[in-house]
Amino acid sequence: MSAVLLIVIPLLMAFLSILSKKLAPYLLLLTSFAAFALLIVDVLPLETITIGGFTAPYGIELVFDKYSLFSLQIVDGLFLLVVLTVWSTHKKMASILLVALAGLNGLLLTGDLFNLFVFLEITAISAYLISTTNKQPIHTFNYVVAGTVGSSLYLLGLILLYNMTGTLNMLDMAIKLVGVNQMAVALPFLLMFIGLGVEAKLMPFASWVKGILGHSDSFSGPMIAGVYAAASLFVFGRLFDTVFVISDSLNLIILLSLSLSILAGEAMAYSSTKVREILLFSSVAQAGIAILAFMQGYTEYAMLFVALNAASKVVLFMIFGSVAKQIGSDNVSDMSGLFVNHKWTGFGVTVIILSLLGLPLFIGFTVKLGLLLSLFNDQNILFIVIILISSVVEGVYFIKLLVELWISEKTPKVKISCQAALIAVLVALVLVALGVYWQPVEQFVDQYLSLRGGWF
Amino acid sequence: MPAIEALLLFILAGGLLTYLVSRLNKTLGMVLTILVSGFAFISVASYAQGAGTDYLNIALPSILTFEITDTGLFFAVIVSFVFFMVSFFNPYYVSKLRYPSAYGMLFLFALAGAIGVFMTNNMLALFFLFELVVWSSMFLIPMSGAKKPVSWYYGFSAVGSFSLLVALLLIYGESGSLDLYTSLNAISGVTAGFVYALMIVAGLAKLGGFPLHIWLPRVLGESEDPVTSVFSGGLEKMGAFVAFLVLVRITPVGTMINATSLTVAQYIVATLGALSIVFGTLMAIRQDDAKKLLAYSSMSNGGYIVLAFSIMSTMSVAGGLYHVMAHALASAAAYLAIGAVNRQTGTTKMSELGGMIHKMPLSYLVYLIAIISMAGIPPMGGFISKWLIYQALIGKGLVLLSVAAFFGSIGSFLYVFRPLAALFLGQELPQFKKTIKEAPFFMALPMVILSILNIATGVVPTYFLKYVNMVMVEAGLNEVPMTGLVIHGTNGDLHAALISGMFAVGVGVAFIIFISLKKSKKVGLMDTYTAANFIYTEELLHYSVDFYAPLERLYEKYTHMMRNFYDNLANKVREIGAFFKYFLYTYKPEITVLWIVLTLVFLLWGDIA
Repeated sequence: MSAVLLIVIPLLMAFLSILSKKLAPYLLLLTSFAAFALLIVDVLPLETITIGGFTAPYGIELVFDKYSLFSLQIVDGLFLLVVLTVWSTHKKMASILLVALAGLNGLLLTGDLFNLFVFLEITAISAYLISTTNKQPIHTFNYVVAGTVGSSLYLLGLILLYNMTGTLNMLDMAIKLVGVNQMAVALPFLLMFIGLGVEAKLMPFASWVKGILGHSDSFSGPMIAGVYAAASLFVFGRLFDTVFVISDSLNLIILLSLSLSILAGEAMAYSSTKVREILLFSSVAQAGIAILAFMQGYTEYAMLFVALNAASKVVLFMIFGSVAKQIGSDNVSDMSGLFVNHKWTGFGVTVIILSLLGLPLFIGFTVKLGLLLSLFNDQNILFIVIILISSVVEGVYFIKLLVELWISEKTPKVKISCQAALIAVLVALVLVALGVYWQPVEQFVDQYLSLRGGWF
Repeated sequence: MPAIEALLLFILAGGLLTYLVSRLNKTLGMVLTILVSGFAFISVASYAQGAGTDYLNIALPSILTFEITDTGLFFAVIVSFVFFMVSFFNPYYVSKLRYPSAYGMLFLFALAGAIGVFMTNNMLALFFLFELVVWSSMFLIPMSGAKKPVSWYYGFSAVGSFSLLVALLLIYGESGSLDLYTSLNAISGVTAGFVYALMIVAGLAKLGGFPLHIWLPRVLGESEDPVTSVFSGGLEKMGAFVAFLVLVRITPVGTMINATSLTVAQYIVATLGALSIVFGTLMAIRQDDAKKLLAYSSMSNGGYIVLAFSIMSTMSVAGGLYHVMAHALASAAAYLAIGAVNRQTGTTKMSELGGMIHKMPLSYLVYLIAIISMAGIPPMGGFISKWLIYQALIGKGLVLLSVAAFFGSIGSFLYVFRPLAALFLGQELPQFKKTIKEAPFFMALPMVILSILNIATGVVPTYFLKYVNMVMVEAGLNEVPMTGLVIHGTNGDLHAALISGMFAVGVGVAFIIFISLKKSKKVGLMDTYTAANFIYTEELLHYSVDFYAPLERLYEKYTHMMRNFYDNLANKVREIGAFFKYFLYTYKPEITVLWIVLTLVFLLWGDIA
C-alpha cells in the first residue's frame, strides 16, 4: 500500500458521495476512519512516491517521511474526531469534508511546491464552504478574499523562485537555492511566507479569523481553528525545515515581527470579553510561537506544540461553539457558571487550558519547557522572555475565564452533548497521561533529533 | 522509610483517592486529607530524625530527583506540619466549599508540590513543582466563591515562577549542571547579579513582599479559612525558601556600601524587605476585616524574613529562619482562631463582632498567644526571631533598616491587639448571644497544639535553634552560639526561659489583682450615652470603628498607589490589545490587504537597505 491512497481515496469518495446523498455521511465516516487507521497501524511504508513515473524534479513527488507521518496522524486524527461529532448533524457537508480531507492530506504529503499550491486551493475552497455553516456570509466572503490574496501571493513567490531555479521540487529547490544570492530569495520567500501566513493565522495577515472563528459553531470552529491550523503550521514547518535558508537580517526581522504578533495576540485576547474571541486571539499568539520554533529549527518541539494546540483548540471551539449557539451570545459573563452543571466537560476544558498554559502534570509543560530549554541552549534569551511574558498574560485571562465558568451563582441553561463531553475528557486524560509519563515525549524528541537533516 | 518520590506519589494518589471518596461521602473525604497530610508530616519528620530513604525505580519524569538537605527538611517539616494542622479544619468546611471533592484533592496536591519544592535538588524539578503548587493552590482560592483574587494570584505567581525559571536557566548555563545546590555555588560575576535579582523577584512574589504584594491581602482575605491558613502558614514559606537559597548562597558583585558592609544589591533587597514591613504594618492598621489585617501582617512578617536573609550575618539569617518557623506557627494559629469565629458567626469584620471570649475562650487564648508571637513579645517564638534580627541590625549599624524593623514591631502592637479587643473582648453582641459555641474538639486540637508550640518556641528556643544551626552550617554560615538555654547574641545574652518565668510571675500577679478587685459591671454593647439624640446607626459607635482614624489620615491618600499601578498596567495591556484589534482585525478585507502590502514593503526594506 502506498501513502498516495490518503489523497486518492478521499477524492474518489468525494465524487462517489455526490451520487448518493444518503450514503455520503457514511462514506465520510468510513473514509476518515480508514485514513486515520492506515496511519496508525503502520502499513504504509515510509518512502518518496513518484507520481506517474516521472522522476523528480520533473514529476511530482509525494514525501511520506516521519514528519509527514506525524503531521498526518495528528491532522487525520483530529479530523476524525470532528467528523465523529458532526457527521450526523451536518450531512450536507459530507462531500466537502471528503474534499477537505484529500486536500489536507495532499498538503502534508506533497514534496512539490506547485502541487502544494493546488492542495492549498483545494483546502481553502473547502474551508470557505465549511465556514458557511456559521451563516455569516459577509465573513465568509472576507475569508474568500483574504484566502485568495494569500494563495495568489504564494503563487507569485513561487513563480519568482521557479524563474530563478527552474525547479518546483522542494528538495531540488533547496539544493539549487544554495549559493543563490539571499537578497534575491528574500522577495519570493516573503511572498510565500505571507501567503501561507494568511492561512496560518499570522498577524497582521489573517484578519479573517475574527469574523470566521468569532462566529464559529461546533463544526467550523474545531475544523478551522484546530485541523486546518495544524495542517497549515505543519506546511510551514516543512518549508522551513527543507527548502528555505534565509539571510540573518531577514530572519531577525521576521522573528521580531513574530514576537510582536505573539505579544499582541495575547494582549488582544486579554482585552476580549467573548470566549471565542479569546480563543482565536490566543491561537494567533500560539501560531506565532509555533512558527518561531520552526524557524529556529526546533522542529521536534514545534511539531508537538502544534499538535497539542490543535487538539486543545478542537475541543475548546467544539464546546464553546455549541454553548454560544445555544445561549445566543459568547460573552464570558453570559456563560458564567457553565461548568457548575457540566462538571465533566469542565474538568476536560480545565485540564486542556492548564496544559495550554504549560502547567506541570500536563504535557503542555513538557513541551513548553523543552522549547524554552532549546532556546536557552542557543542563547536566545530574548525569545524566552517574550514567550514567558506572553504566558503571564495568557495565564491571567485563561484563569479568569475558568474561574468565571466554574464559580457563579447563576448557570446558563445549555445542553452539552455526551460526545463533546466525552471527547473533552478523553483529550484531557491523554494530556495528563503524557504529562506524567514523559517517556513517549522524550523518545519522540530524541528520535527526531537523531534524524534531523534527513528525510527518513 | 519511603523514598521521597514514593511519598510525593503517595500524597498525589491520596489526593485522587480523596476526590473519589468525597464523591461518596464528603466529610469522609476531608477526614482522608487529615490522614494523608498527617502521614506526610510524619514521613518528613522521620527524614529529619535521620531515617534514610530508599530509591524508587519507576518511570517518573527524568528531572524529578530528590535529596535530603537540612535546609529542605527545615522548610518541609514546618510546611507539612501547618498543612497537617489545618487539615483538621477541612471536615468542618464541607458545606461552605463550592467543590469540596476537588478541594481535598487540590489541598493534597499543593502539599505534595510544596514538599517536593523543598526536597528536590534538580533545578527543573524545582520549577516543575513550584508551578504544580501554583495551579493546585490557585484553585483552592475560589472555593469560597471569590473570583478576582484568583487571577491576581496567578499573575503574580507566574511572574515569580517565570523569573525563577529564567534564573535557573542562567545558573544552568553557567554551571552546566542541573544540580541545584552545587550550581548555586558555582556562579559568579554578572550572571550572579541577574540570578540574584530574578530569584528575589520569585521570592518576593511568593512571599507577598513589596512591591509584589497586591495579591496577598485579597487571597488571604477572601478565601476560606483553611485556605488562608495554608497560604499564610505554609505556601508563602516557599518564597522564603527561594529567598534563603539566593540571598545566602549568592553574593552579587557590585559596589560595596562600606558603612553597611553590604553590596548595593543586598542593600536594595534589604530595603524592599523593610518597605514590606512598613507598608504591611500601615495597611494592617487600616483594616476592618480581621483576615485582611492578618494578611497585611503576613506581608510585614515576610518583610522581616527577606530583610533578615539579605543582611547576611549569622544572627540575622538565623533570625530569619527562626522567623519562618515562628510566623508559620503563629499565623496558622491566628487564622485558625479567626476561622473558628468565622464559622460560628459568618463574619470576620471586627465592627460586626465583639465579646466572643464569653463563648469561645479557647479560641481567644489561641489568638492571644499567636498575636503575642507575631508582635514579637516574649515569651513567644516571634520574640526570639525578632531579637536575633535586631541583634544583627544593631550590630551592623543599619540605622534606617533598624528603624523600619522597630516601626513594624511597634506598629504590630497597634494592629494585632485590635482584633483581640474588637472581636474577642468587649460586650457580647445580642445577635450572637444564643447561637455561638466554642469550636468543636477537632478544630480546637490543632489550635491548642499550635499554641503550645508558639509558647515552646519562645520558652526553649535553643531546642529549635539546634535545627536552625544545622541549616546554617549547611549553607556555609556560622552557628548561633548558645549554651544550655542561653543564646549568646552580639550585644548580650538571651535567657528566654528566665524571661518567660518572669513573664509568668507577672501574669500571675496580674491575675491575683484581677481576682481580688471588684467585679466589673456588665452593660449592653449599645448602652451608649448620646445626649438626647436617637441613634440610627449604632454600629458606627462601636469603638472599633475607625479606631486609628487620626493615624490613618496621615497616609490614607497613598494606600492605593501600588494597587492602582497594577490596575493601570492591566489596563495598558488591554488598551494595546484593543489598539491592535482596531487596526489589524477589522471586518474589511481591503485593510488586511493594505497591511499585507505594508508589511511586505517594510520587511523588504529591511533586507535590501
